[in-house]
Amino acid sequence: MYSTKTLERFKNPSFAGGLRGANATGKAEDEISKDLIKIYMLIDEDGIIDNAKFKAFGGVATIVACDIACQMLVGKSLEEALSITEEEIISEFNDIPLDRKYCATLVEEAIKNAVEDYYKRLEKLEKKMAESQN
Amino acid sequence: MDKRVYLDSASTTYVSSEVMAEMLPCFNTIYGNSNSVHSYGRDAKAIVDRARDRIAHAIGAEKSNEIYFTSGGTEADNFAIKGLARAYSNKGKHIIISAIEHSAIMEACEELEKEGFVVTKIPVDSMGLVKLTDLIHEIRNDTILISIMAVNNEVGTIQNIKAIAKIAHDYSIIFHTDASQALGAIKINVQDMEIDAMTLTAHKINGPKGVGCLYLKNGIRIEPLIVGGSQERGKRGGTVDVALVAGFGKAVEIAERDMIINQQKLRSIRDYFIRSVQEKIEYVQINGHPQQKVNSIVNMSFDMVDNESLLMLLDMGGVAVSIGSACKAGSTEKSYVLQAMGLDDEHLKSSVRFSFAKNLTRSDIDYAVEVLQKAVERLRSISALTKAGRR
Repeated sequence: MYSTKTLERFKNPSFAGGLRGANATGKAEDEISKDLIKIYMLIDEDGIIDNAKFKAFGGVATIVACDIACQMLVGKSLEEALSITEEEIISEFNDIPLDRKYCATLVEEAIKNAVEDYYKRLEKLEKKMAESQN
Repeated sequence: MDKRVYLDSASTTYVSSEVMAEMLPCFNTIYGNSNSVHSYGRDAKAIVDRARDRIAHAIGAEKSNEIYFTSGGTEADNFAIKGLARAYSNKGKHIIISAIEHSAIMEACEELEKEGFVVTKIPVDSMGLVKLTDLIHEIRNDTILISIMAVNNEVGTIQNIKAIAKIAHDYSIIFHTDASQALGAIKINVQDMEIDAMTLTAHKINGPKGVGCLYLKNGIRIEPLIVGGSQERGKRGGTVDVALVAGFGKAVEIAERDMIINQQKLRSIRDYFIRSVQEKIEYVQINGHPQQKVNSIVNMSFDMVDNESLLMLLDMGGVAVSIGSACKAGSTEKSYVLQAMGLDDEHLKSSVRFSFAKNLTRSDIDYAVEVLQKAVERLRSISALTKAGRR
């Protein structure tokens, strides 16, 4: 069902777990499979993703898709992060069962939500700073 | 991979050496066609007859000719559902099954619906039991067949077959039961339990794959499913596989002979497994009936853990388990059995079936639980779910 490469990555994902000091979190949920994923990002002052991690309640493909996405995210600007597509994630798998392709959609959505979360937090922070200056 | 532990005996079992010994001569010594009139054929027929006698005896059938060999449980289920429905369609076109039947029954019924039959699926309670009042409520004037499985393959719940058969007969309805998981696990007597038709299969009781049978009480009509020969009293065409049938007969005989000791062993293995899991792992739920269940199956949900990921991690540690039924594996479809029992999405998605064989040792179980504990801890550490749910 899955390739050795996929299973190896599933067994030893490099980006699984929480991320201390994360300043952006994106959640996504699949209605049918009920998979739930969270992507955490640590974004520096220049808007570059310093680190990314994930947590997932889902199957092999979902965990591997999250791990692939986090690897792609590290070192990218937010704009570049938003341009990561489902197809890019899928192409990183040697094979992915047809009925598991939804996991790439899920990952793309979680990244968007994480970036959105970052801008929201930034906005709040700027507002706070403006208020304190007044 | 070093150690391996097979906790998937409800999917299939190994063939026992006693059964293999019974089968071997049929490949190159007694290889005649049991339908041939010459001595080679008669020798083969004697073996087939003996297997038929053994099975009939084990299930308390009145006559051996009430056993019709098939290619397995799936064919026997198809044969029963389609064959009985078509044979009695002049009486009515309504069939009642439960919501937790094997997919062979479910899909055979779907085909019949295309022929104009109407199928009612009666619900089960949270423990997997069919409520008898629900069954009575669904019976109509044109109900011709009720089919309820004896033991559920995913959770092991044992239905009140005798009571269900009694209800069916009170309304002059034919009663079929799929007893694939029941053989060797519970005492079956078709006459005492008033069963009209019953599906059996060999490979769940240390017999070979590819053979099963339908018990059909004499006097009940059935349309053949497979035509093309006069075998099995004209009800199932095709040369009988003498070796498989011989193995099946032997496996049934042994299952019946050793039932008490086997069940004692299985109960002790199952209870030790449950105890060990509950000692070592938190947030575990057992699905199914607390008492009215077979000793060989336990279905558990591990909170916050996805069952496919768990199955794969266990497999990487050499422990083989199942998610729901092997017949539905490989699909993202969730278990309709657990859904019918009203499990919520989280427990449904985190459920795993463990099923046991009598040859498992304490150290096998210790090893399996150790691998399980590590896998559950690992998946929980990276789970997006928390104890509070989907926050």
